Amino acid sequence: MSEQQGLGIGTDEWVAQHEKRLARRSGLLGILDLLNQKVSPAIRYGILGVAAIAFGLFVDDFYLQRIAANLGVFLILTLGLNVVMGFAGLLDLGFVAFFGFGAYAYALTSSGHLNQHWPTYLSVPAIVIVTAFLGYLVSLPSRRLFGDYLAIVTLFFGQVFIQLIISSDSITFPGNEESTDITGGSNGIPGLDPFVLFGYKFKGAADYYWLLLVILVFLIIAIIRVDRTRVGRAWKTVREDSLASQAMGIKVNNLKMLAFIVGAAIAGLAGTIFAGIQNSVFINGFDMPLLTLIYAAVILGGSGSIPGSILGAFVMSVLPEILRVQNYSEILFLSVLILTIAVLGKSWKKFAFNIALVVLIGFLVKVIVSALNIATTPAATWAIAPVSKALQHWLVIPQSRLLWGNIGFVLLISLIAYYSIAKEKIKFYLLPLITYVAIFVWEDRLVIEPNTTRQLIIGMLLVVLMIVRPQGFLGKTRVEVL
Amino acid sequence: MSYLGQQLVNGLTLGGVYALIALGYSLVYGVLQILNFAHGDVYMVGAFLGYFVELALGGPTKSIVPVPIMLFLMFAISMIGTGLLGIVIERFAYRPLRGSSRIAPLISALGVSILLQNAAQLIFSANIRSYDTSSFIPSTLGFSIGDVTIDSVRITVLILAFALMFALSRWVNKTQVGRAMRAIAIDRDAAVMMGIDIDKVIRWTFFVGAALAAAAGVMNGLLLRGVSSGMGFVPGLKGFTAAVIGGIGSIPGAMAGGLLLGVVESLTQGYLSTNFSDFYTFILLIAVMLLRPNGLFGKKAIVKA
Amino acid sequence: MKKFSRLSVVALSSAIALSGAGAVVVASPANAAACSGTVAIMAPLTGGVAFIGVQQAEFAKLAVADYNKKNGTSFITKDYDTQLDAAQASTQAPNIVADKTTIGIMGPAGSQEVLATGGLFGANDIAVVSPSATRTNLTAGTYPSFFRSVPNDSQQGPGDADFMVKNLKAKEITVIEEKTAYGTGLATEVMAQLKKLKVKATKYSVNEKNADYAALVTRVSKTSDFVFVTFQDAAKSESVAQELIKQKKKAVVFGSDGSDQPTFKTKGTYVSAFAPDIKGIPSSAAVIAGYKSTYNKTDADITTFGPPAYVAAQVIVEAAGRVCAAGKTADAKSTLAEIFKTKIAKSVLGGPIAFTDKGDVKGGRFYVFQTQADGSRKLVG
Repeated sequence: MSEQQGLGIGTDEWVAQHEKRLARRSGLLGILDLLNQKVSPAIRYGILGVAAIAFGLFVDDFYLQRIAANLGVFLILTLGLNVVMGFAGLLDLGFVAFFGFGAYAYALTSSGHLNQHWPTYLSVPAIVIVTAFLGYLVSLPSRRLFGDYLAIVTLFFGQVFIQLIISSDSITFPGNEESTDITGGSNGIPGLDPFVLFGYKFKGAADYYWLLLVILVFLIIAIIRVDRTRVGRAWKTVREDSLASQAMGIKVNNLKMLAFIVGAAIAGLAGTIFAGIQNSVFINGFDMPLLTLIYAAVILGGSGSIPGSILGAFVMSVLPEILRVQNYSEILFLSVLILTIAVLGKSWKKFAFNIALVVLIGFLVKVIVSALNIATTPAATWAIAPVSKALQHWLVIPQSRLLWGNIGFVLLISLIAYYSIAKEKIKFYLLPLITYVAIFVWEDRLVIEPNTTRQLIIGMLLVVLMIVRPQGFLGKTRVEVL
Repeated sequence: MSYLGQQLVNGLTLGGVYALIALGYSLVYGVLQILNFAHGDVYMVGAFLGYFVELALGGPTKSIVPVPIMLFLMFAISMIGTGLLGIVIERFAYRPLRGSSRIAPLISALGVSILLQNAAQLIFSANIRSYDTSSFIPSTLGFSIGDVTIDSVRITVLILAFALMFALSRWVNKTQVGRAMRAIAIDRDAAVMMGIDIDKVIRWTFFVGAALAAAAGVMNGLLLRGVSSGMGFVPGLKGFTAAVIGGIGSIPGAMAGGLLLGVVESLTQGYLSTNFSDFYTFILLIAVMLLRPNGLFGKKAIVKA
Repeated sequence: MKKFSRLSVVALSSAIALSGAGAVVVASPANAAACSGTVAIMAPLTGGVAFIGVQQAEFAKLAVADYNKKNGTSFITKDYDTQLDAAQASTQAPNIVADKTTIGIMGPAGSQEVLATGGLFGANDIAVVSPSATRTNLTAGTYPSFFRSVPNDSQQGPGDADFMVKNLKAKEITVIEEKTAYGTGLATEVMAQLKKLKVKATKYSVNEKNADYAALVTRVSKTSDFVFVTFQDAAKSESVAQELIKQKKKAVVFGSDGSDQPTFKTKGTYVSAFAPDIKGIPSSAAVIAGYKSTYNKTDADITTFGPPAYVAAQVIVEAAGRVCAAGKTADAKSTLAEIFKTKIAKSVLGGPIAFTDKGDVKGGRFYVFQTQADGSRKLVG
């Protein structure tokens, strides 16, 4: 890895130390860092590997196996995007189209839809090669484009891919009366053949889990090795400063195209396995929501960092599932809220004062409400999850929850808006009020609609994490030379 | 001939709306060099605000004010409200990231986009709303040139879109803030050294960009497109494309790009295929990118470190 | 060095969180004494078509609450958001199977989700009662535990085509196929029937994400009598109808059941639906009133997607209730067996509900309405 050769590209002495200072300052994280610095990367990957094997051996819950298999596919995608975007710095927003292409190619070569049943050891490598070639084709018009222009071309490519798949269920070839159904259109293609490797027919997500594990081991090793080669270093110079690297005689265009091709091939591979796990393919799974998640994973983890990609994939793939359980989402919500206060409050003293004020406001409202005899929703109907139960002595929920919830929500947004332009002194007192309203809205309204809330949390997390740590969890602070 | 004329009218209306959205992308890009991916959702909020103003005034059939005043209030309140939202988004999601890498604001914008969509679903419910324009502006109202008919809603939308674009050009070219904005677009550091209040200029940029998107949202509502929390993505994508085709950061480029995109879409849908039109738009985009990599009106970027 | 730091910690905590989630899933087996169980609700509760799923979930919950109130049972519901995405549906499917309290599934909304999950649910004897998956071949016998509370495309499409040609004397018809599982299935059935009837028919396909129909309407021929639309969002049908007026075309919009919502209100248009106007049925008034008061809604908020979900959930809890009444514990398998014997004399949809052995509603038929000047609908066939 690059950090073993001293400082990476784009970082300098001060930045490196700055990060260390930060680590020392923040108590708990500092201890964790210290603990982890004594363990070598190999051991860390080893622990991860042992945990993964243990999971495969001892967990026999179908749902968890399926989530783990999904995570595996997601990990491949994140690692692939990390090559394109993290290493080479290309903003490829058509990345999921290659994933979709791989999945559809597998479906067409391994189902009764076109009556093709290729053996797995033939279809998968062939699809990877064809997807790589598609990546080459897309990179042709893109090679002259930089950053945001590349982004729009590839974003549109993704959308066109979806349109082509949806509309290719009734193609009339010249000379033919009847139209042919190639892709199944919006109905998708169900009933795919499972993978068959070395005579073993895959049965469920658990089998694919082991396959994914093997692939991931090879992929991670391969990417680490490529990262250390001339190509890997050249990619980073292109990312940091393509003009300068061109001046150094690096073939910038070829390198960009290579990154594109490698990324496409990896995504195509992920697509075939995904199609195998799901046993069917449908086009709406290859749209913006997935792209958003993959990008979020790479960037949250730290663009360009392999452990970062792994961590990001964990967060973005497992978190939405965890948030389906109300109690976990409540805990997460409150933690994020407290973290936000801590960041905005700047010092520990102010932070403590703010929290105290929030608690005070809660009791004050409770006392006033009971003194005036205002009808409320009994705690037994809303305090169900453990966290809500703990809050019931402090929080009041009015009788018409929907109405007050919406009022609270609008009030919350207005307060935040006011906060953004308020003076420092007012801000200080505004923060506890906002926090109280946020908790109220959460308990009153958001817990009733857990699914919308789940999405709200994911959105909030992206914004807050970017503000707190723009370089991602494990990314490096870069010095922007202006 | 009349068929072509009708399709051009369709395309210009559509293009006028795209152009207003594209302007928001271009303005922000010009000043901050970031892609505001939440712009499509800002447009959605604008459409919703217009709808609620309509409801507050008594609804489509029982309006308490004359129709022109109702239309004016729908546009004005929605544009101001959404403009303020634009300022809040900038303050919370982008300002803390100013000066960090280019990719962080992108993710932050994706986060804002998810937040806005789901907050809208929570507050406004998941139901698809309709402005029900035909109840207060009869669809039969309008005039025809030969076989080409232009109804009154289209006329309103077209005139207003061009008026807003004209007003924007005046604002950018003639006012203090507009001049400061152009100065920042050319060289931010130099502008700061000249004493330009960069925060103020950026606030204005976001306000104006969001207000234009809101106007586009209300226009689309008036043209009878359903209003719902997920409506922002496609117009956002089209606006973004239009901005790129015109040359991102360029204001005349965004206008031209929007109109061109609208017309091309109408013509491909009218003559070629109704469901492959995005494919042809893609070909147009590729062609423009290959012939003029910086867009139709974009200046050649000087690549420097 | 720092880069690797928190990795193992996070891996560990994820594993703990995961096992926690697993514990929640497998905990609390069904209480045998009281009549209880979980109705799993699979619906697009967020995302672009949340307007379908949210209302389905609301009506389904209402049905379960109503049944509990009447019979003193304690059935509960659990949401599984799928965003109409088959991948998410098939990820949640094992979760539903693993929950041993599940007695049946209300949903999924889309035919493609049934294709992706129907096999697993069939193998585990869990009843799937969809309120909106209308693709004809879902009830071809592939999915033995699949039911639907609405008639399928082959009951609606040909009927609508016949009505336009025979009753309304149409000579030329334009069909707009929205490229969704719903729109494609229906448009195919309609086109086939029109071909059989030897009527001039042109099909245009549009993408679901498209919202502008001006260019398409310009393309509709001047001699076209009807424009048959297959949208799931009635605002789109209304947009096409008004655009036809603006461009002075004589064609009238004929909407499928997806258009049966208050936003589609142009005078003279037709719409087909699987039930007479629900708000006009006296026996359904209590349910409608209950819905409006529970969820703070008005008549205008009630779309065509809600009431079938009420019926779907009702079918499940009534079957489970009969299992309890026979002195047994209601589980997925016994509930499934009882669902085949469903006999609701008058459902909220106005007619009786019973299932064929393939899972279709017996004698499901469609009604055609014409919209009046005040936006109300008049039964015409």
